[in-house]
Amino acid sequence: MSHTIEKPTDITIPSSSMWAKLPVLGGICAATGLGATLAMAFGEHQARAMFSYLWAYEVWLAVALGALGWVMIDQIVRAGWSAVVRRISETAAATLPVFIVLFIPIVTVGYHALYPWTHETDAILERKRWFLSTPFFMGRAGFYLLVWAALSIYLYRMSVKQDAAGNDDMAKARISRSIWRFSAVGIILYVLTQSFQAIDWMMSLQPHWYSTIFGVYYFAASTLAFFAFITLVSMGLQKAGVLKKAITIEHYHDLGKYLFGYTIFWAYIAFSQFILIWYANIPEETEFYIARLHGGWEWVSYALPVLHFFVPFLYLLSRQVKRKQLLLGLGATWILLMHLIDLYWLILPNFGAHGEGHHEPHLALSWLDMAALVGIGGVFMATFGWLLARNKVVCVNDPRLPESLAHENY
Amino acid sequence: MSESKIWGLLAQYENPAEIYHASEKVRDAGYEKWDACAPFPVHGLDKAMGAKPSKLPWAVLLIGLTGSSLMLFFESYTSGYAYPFIVGGKPLFSLPAFVPVWYEMSVLSSCLTAFFANWIMSGLPEPYHPAFASKAFERVTDDKFFIMIEAEDAKFDLEKTKALLADTGATLVEELKP
Amino acid sequence: MATANAAAVNLPDDPNVRGDVVLDEPVAGREPLVRGQHDFHSVTEMVCRVNEVPLKKTPMPFVFGTLLASAVFAMFGGYIGYLIWVGPGIWGNNNPVGWAWDIVNFVFWVGIGHAGTLISAILYLFRQKWRTSINRYAEAMTIFAVLAASSCVALHTGRVWMDYYLFPLPNQMGLWPNFRSPLEWDVFAVNTYLIVSLLFWYTGMVPDFATLRDRATVKWRQLFYGVLALGWRGSMRHWVTYEKAYQILAAFSAPLVLSVHTIVSFDFAVSQLPGWHTTIFPPYFVAGAIFSGFAMVQTLMLPARHWLGLKDLVTVKHIENMNKVILLTGSLVGYAYAMEFFVAAYSGNQYESFTFINRATGPYWWSYWIMLSCNVVTPQLFWFRKIRTSVGWSFVLSIFVNIGMWFERFVITVTSLHRDALVSSWDYFVPVTEALYLLGTFGLFFTLFLLFIRFFPVIAMSEVKGVMPQANPHWSGYDKKGHHAPAHAAVEEVHP
Repeated sequence: MSHTIEKPTDITIPSSSMWAKLPVLGGICAATGLGATLAMAFGEHQARAMFSYLWAYEVWLAVALGALGWVMIDQIVRAGWSAVVRRISETAAATLPVFIVLFIPIVTVGYHALYPWTHETDAILERKRWFLSTPFFMGRAGFYLLVWAALSIYLYRMSVKQDAAGNDDMAKARISRSIWRFSAVGIILYVLTQSFQAIDWMMSLQPHWYSTIFGVYYFAASTLAFFAFITLVSMGLQKAGVLKKAITIEHYHDLGKYLFGYTIFWAYIAFSQFILIWYANIPEETEFYIARLHGGWEWVSYALPVLHFFVPFLYLLSRQVKRKQLLLGLGATWILLMHLIDLYWLILPNFGAHGEGHHEPHLALSWLDMAALVGIGGVFMATFGWLLARNKVVCVNDPRLPESLAHENY
Repeated sequence: MSESKIWGLLAQYENPAEIYHASEKVRDAGYEKWDACAPFPVHGLDKAMGAKPSKLPWAVLLIGLTGSSLMLFFESYTSGYAYPFIVGGKPLFSLPAFVPVWYEMSVLSSCLTAFFANWIMSGLPEPYHPAFASKAFERVTDDKFFIMIEAEDAKFDLEKTKALLADTGATLVEELKP
Repeated sequence: MATANAAAVNLPDDPNVRGDVVLDEPVAGREPLVRGQHDFHSVTEMVCRVNEVPLKKTPMPFVFGTLLASAVFAMFGGYIGYLIWVGPGIWGNNNPVGWAWDIVNFVFWVGIGHAGTLISAILYLFRQKWRTSINRYAEAMTIFAVLAASSCVALHTGRVWMDYYLFPLPNQMGLWPNFRSPLEWDVFAVNTYLIVSLLFWYTGMVPDFATLRDRATVKWRQLFYGVLALGWRGSMRHWVTYEKAYQILAAFSAPLVLSVHTIVSFDFAVSQLPGWHTTIFPPYFVAGAIFSGFAMVQTLMLPARHWLGLKDLVTVKHIENMNKVILLTGSLVGYAYAMEFFVAAYSGNQYESFTFINRATGPYWWSYWIMLSCNVVTPQLFWFRKIRTSVGWSFVLSIFVNIGMWFERFVITVTSLHRDALVSSWDYFVPVTEALYLLGTFGLFFTLFLLFIRFFPVIAMSEVKGVMPQANPHWSGYDKKGHHAPAHAAVEEVHP
């Protein structure tokens, strides 16, 4: 009764589809969004614009970094079920080089507006100078960005190379083995760079505050965002007539399980950080939560455990939900939305909290948030769409592809 | 031996493929009071038998939620009302501090339910079963596969059922006494 | 389909490829989980053989081992009596080191327990079929380790006879436990963990007890295994519910195992003590627990698979996989050490910085460096495939991890305490009789473990059979009529 499963043939993006137009559409979004944000960044709303920019940058970076981490983990553990969606994640990760360019405004226009330690000082900051100093900060940022670019380009290139290996089993196996070895080492660099990135670019916004779990928090958030992203992209691609038969409800079920699992993981990490700081009640740590419990931010703080954890947790608990495209798509959209709010809550309360004319943080949305989000999202999606159309949307020669195509949950 | 004294028929198969196809045939023949036994859960055999999915998750959800809410109530009641005492500057009703015990008791009540409901829903422990009298059946927990059809089944007819079982490729067909 | 892709791999349809042969890792398809030429019956034989040796023919080394372990266990009983009689003053605890080996041993043992649940629950949810050969063993280890751990916490309270106050029992004074205290959380966490592990372990064993019952030739065996087997007869209708219950238990155990060591870490981390209070503690403790637990599984399993003749079931592949988990979790623990050290420096808080520098260079510097070398440095050798597929290396390195993880808890507990905020309160902790205490818990653990090996099925037979290729009714080895299947599968079919 062994039924053979055919290799998918609908593996290139039809030029008529929305996906093929992404570079143009994304480009338009990027031009308007980034144009508006950066124009404002040179005016009197510089700080506000740059906070929006940093937030949007971290939101999309999280998706790309989540993709990079998952591609490597997936290869290291020799996962079988996921080969059919691996190219999509490799492509999402391969957008990382673009983030080098996108980072420039943060360390030029926004540098002082964002990071108080660059121009303020006090006794504590003096003791932190060894780490929070411009040359070291810049050097580290360059290092992270180059490491990500190198990792993602290598993984993408090798995978595309495997596509071309034809029927040469030895060549395919050789490439897979190289990727495995590379990923095992790469994941170490990845874990360190993504953690320290979170410390450098987000934790140091509030330079007195520290939390050892912060890197893990960002990891949880970014992986969760990535799974929501890949679920939605897979659905979108299938709508456009790509991988119609290859991606089945079984794969969505597994993606749904990951969404569910990482929702729990995110809540676990967030709760661990909260309860330890709340319980010990040490002033230099509680400032983080105090800032987020005033001026309207308290509503976000109360909403996060409910909307970012309980709602998706109860929703995704059901097997039926994970096995219905529409319902799962709603869940993934919700989670992506929560990801925006989560990072907003991490970054924005620092706006105006330091320096001259500093004030108690208060929650105030700005059109700049949307502009920055669309702008950076435009760049990200344009790159993603461009790369996706350049090559096949599935790793056709991945030795695990047959296993993935036949995948079944039981 | 009259038919009324017979509890049912026992048929032995040698491997999962045989019992799988045999179960499909028995199911299609319209029997209801019958069972397949195997040393391990044969993948897909429940579907081949037409068995319904278990209701166990509902029991777990129901009792788990009950246990969970009772514990949160209990913590709030003892800490906030029955023995109000400020320790370590924590408010009487400290939801974050209640979470760990609340969580543990939710897990415990759910797991206890899963454990006991599993046996209760299967009617275990069941010290005696007619099949235990069969010498061949001793290998059901080793490497043999069995189908039993009860005499109580509306479609049961000693000769016809025997013929059916033989037809499904049984390597051995035995009569079981109550 | 699978066959075509497995071309680059020499998968064994060859019965000579036994459990000790290191195979090239296949790029497509999967290595067989059971090696050698085995069918369902030979798996049963292999596993039951261990339990079915007549009592009087129990091998002498085993008898001596059990006697030795139970002698140590008896000594532990005496030690407990002495402890209750004299009080915790018999330990070197003092001010400011109020917690020492009692808590070190507790965390050490609870941590070891975690691998069992990880293997049975988390690997189950991740569809890691290789877990079937080792889960029974690891679950047993969990239970005995948690018992050893409970003995430590139950005894460290001082007035042991008042321990019932830990439970929310109505009493004449109207007292209730303080649910806002991390130590109370611990009571619930450890007890829940013990109970759920027992349920999980027992549920998994019922079908195997039935096997032992059906094979029993002596009255007491029939009775003993008959009672434990609950009348299990392998009914598919039972299996459906059973599998659902097992899945649910796994789904609950997975977050449970995280929560237990998280709560253990809260014992330390909710305080304000530098070295204890750090937010990464929960995931760091969990990683450390899994790390130490896997090492202990290796330490116990490597000799056992040799002596009990289980090499075809617990193959080099299993050992390699476990070593990979050890490498991963060891590196995660290394990440946490590094992050703690970094943030202590980054924080600009002198107390934090002092604590960490004191760990590495203070009076307990040796414990810190033992911890670091055994937990972070030596496991890195597992990067080399030669080493992680070598039984000898695995055994030695697993012992290193056990030692390192004990010292980790020592470092956390003792070095953070011995330098109090006031210099006048500084004191140095000198253990008095604690070595006997630690030894005693090993006596408890090994006595139970050896009895388990002797009387309980050490490998989950029904689960192993379920992952053998011929368990699939659509396996290509069965011809169309379904008769006379060959005994062994050539290539594990990926899917029907």
